[in-house]
Amino acid sequence: MIRKTIKIVNKLGMHARPATMIVKAATKYRSDFKIVKSDMEINGRSIMGVMTLAAEFGSELELVADGVDEEFLIKEITKMFEDKFGED
Amino acid sequence: MKKIKGNSVSAGVAIGRVKIIQKHELHIEHKKIYRREVESEISRFKKNVDYVINELSKLIQDYTYSQENRDILESHKLILQDPDFIDKISKLISEDLNSLEMAINKYFNDAIDIFSGMSNKYLAHKINDFEDVAYRLLSHIMDERKDILEDVDENSILIMENISPSFVTKVFEKQIQGLCTERGSRNSHSSIIARSMNLPMLVNTLGLLNNVKDGDIVIIDGNEGLAIISPTKSTLGKYNAISKKEHNIQKNLLKLIDVEPITKDGKKIKLMSNIEIPQEIEQVLKFNSAGIGLFRTEFLFIDREDLPTEDEQYEIYKDIAEQCLPNALVIRTIDVGGDKLSNILNITHEENPNLGCRGIRISLQNIPVFKQQIKAILRANTCGNIKIMFPMISSVEELSKVKKIIKDCSNELINAGIAFNADMELGAMIEIPSAVITSDSIAEECDFLSIGTNDLIQYTLAVDRDNQSISDYYKPTHPSVIRSIKITVDNAHKIGKKVAVCGEMASEKKYVKLLLALGVDELSVSPGRLLLIKKEILECNIEEMKAKLDELLSCKTSKEIMKLI
Repeated sequence: MIRKTIKIVNKLGMHARPATMIVKAATKYRSDFKIVKSDMEINGRSIMGVMTLAAEFGSELELVADGVDEEFLIKEITKMFEDKFGED
Repeated sequence: MKKIKGNSVSAGVAIGRVKIIQKHELHIEHKKIYRREVESEISRFKKNVDYVINELSKLIQDYTYSQENRDILESHKLILQDPDFIDKISKLISEDLNSLEMAINKYFNDAIDIFSGMSNKYLAHKINDFEDVAYRLLSHIMDERKDILEDVDENSILIMENISPSFVTKVFEKQIQGLCTERGSRNSHSSIIARSMNLPMLVNTLGLLNNVKDGDIVIIDGNEGLAIISPTKSTLGKYNAISKKEHNIQKNLLKLIDVEPITKDGKKIKLMSNIEIPQEIEQVLKFNSAGIGLFRTEFLFIDREDLPTEDEQYEIYKDIAEQCLPNALVIRTIDVGGDKLSNILNITHEENPNLGCRGIRISLQNIPVFKQQIKAILRANTCGNIKIMFPMISSVEELSKVKKIIKDCSNELINAGIAFNADMELGAMIEIPSAVITSDSIAEECDFLSIGTNDLIQYTLAVDRDNQSISDYYKPTHPSVIRSIKITVDNAHKIGKKVAVCGEMASEKKYVKLLLALGVDELSVSPGRLLLIKKEILECNIEEMKAKLDELLSCKTSKEIMKLI
């Protein structure tokens, strides 16, 4: 299992488009994937769940992946956050 | 007074009072289910969700949608595929014994509650999407088909978010003045239908719904692509005059429905229609068209994830062919750039699609798909008078290949014991300069020729007509284009074959005389332009124009030609 804390660096925060990107990416992998924000834990393949996190700019999230391809999953999702989901 | 810009779907002016068409309310019955009904309720859920996901996938692939709209639809699809959504609905049904409708309603109402309290405005905005998804799903489940237009006055102009093709037909039948949609594009099915019915319509009028209320006076200016809300007295007066004039013209045109298209010097011209989608047949019949000179079949193939089956195509071709009788239906095999079909065929990216794998080339590279279409046409020809036509022919070689394939298809149908009729005229589209130059050989290999002027101009002049920066170079009356038509007609006539023009040039009043003088036998135009072109034919004297032909053909510029016609 991998746990990784990341910070939201895109200005608009976790709105619909980033949520769509995360879910679509996560669906390609087999590992379990959860996202934790303070006391809330959601399924990373659920678009409603990811949006419900309502993570704002500057807030911290923990990505939790567990399974055969956990490393790749975390790598891809982390990169999306770092690339600010394509926003400038 | 306020003006809002949109895209014009059809020319013409309409004036009326605003009637906003909201999505109709869905009435969810508060009904609990019995435990024994749980299983069937859940399977009903799965079936309906699958249907709507499929419908969304098709919409997402519709190339007429903007990327932004597709992204929105993509997120709607993800909501319906959401594991938590599926899980929660299943629980609402199996544990709380809610009916499917109630479960969905409850799920989205909860989501709307949660999201509307969020401070992130991008997420708070999301509640519109939840409403959309819930509506799409519930309206499919409940299959409500209330007649929304029941008490709408015919002096209305409908304003709505989007419109379905069947609804456009209803609007037309109720003789409503016109309509505006906030979304949509000029090339959607709904727009094509509105255009063929000459129904004033604007699309993409963003912000219009927020600026009008029921009863406001609104003007649709289809010539300028404008919606004018609460116009001043002088503006209204100006548009009233235009509208009156247009009405008179239209009224006089309608008188021509039963008049034969015969020129002043007594030549009868075959005037047919172009159609893109099957629903347009109604207009073809209404305007008394001499059959269909061009049925563009590509609309059967784009905007979907799978290929239309042979049977599906057969039913459509048969239906249109039967309705056309005793007139002919000319079916053009698929003519589209590979980029439009990349979702269903294996097509590699091309640097230059217009010079790439399109038209007949796609068919010859995807023989199984081509054969399905040919077989469907051969079968449908048992019930009608069908002619088949091939796009983007550049040499006789393609025609030989095509003929061989038709033969193979016939043999396969014989072996399968399926009824068909191979007695069918075969035509080639002339739209590439090489086909013009070799039109003598091509004419020998087929029964008729049809000139597609849009592509002929594009390929002869090397001009992409959608490229605004070089639009001056797109000249339908360029001497090379006029001479190309002449060469083609002469070559065909030498061996007794006929030539039609089915490109946009035939739908333009100002070119009719010229085309007829060049010897073109048949014209095929969009149904909405049929009567206008008929009027032009009635007023035309071919012999008079022919006297000027030598002069015309020796013109050095497009300007000189335009002066003569």
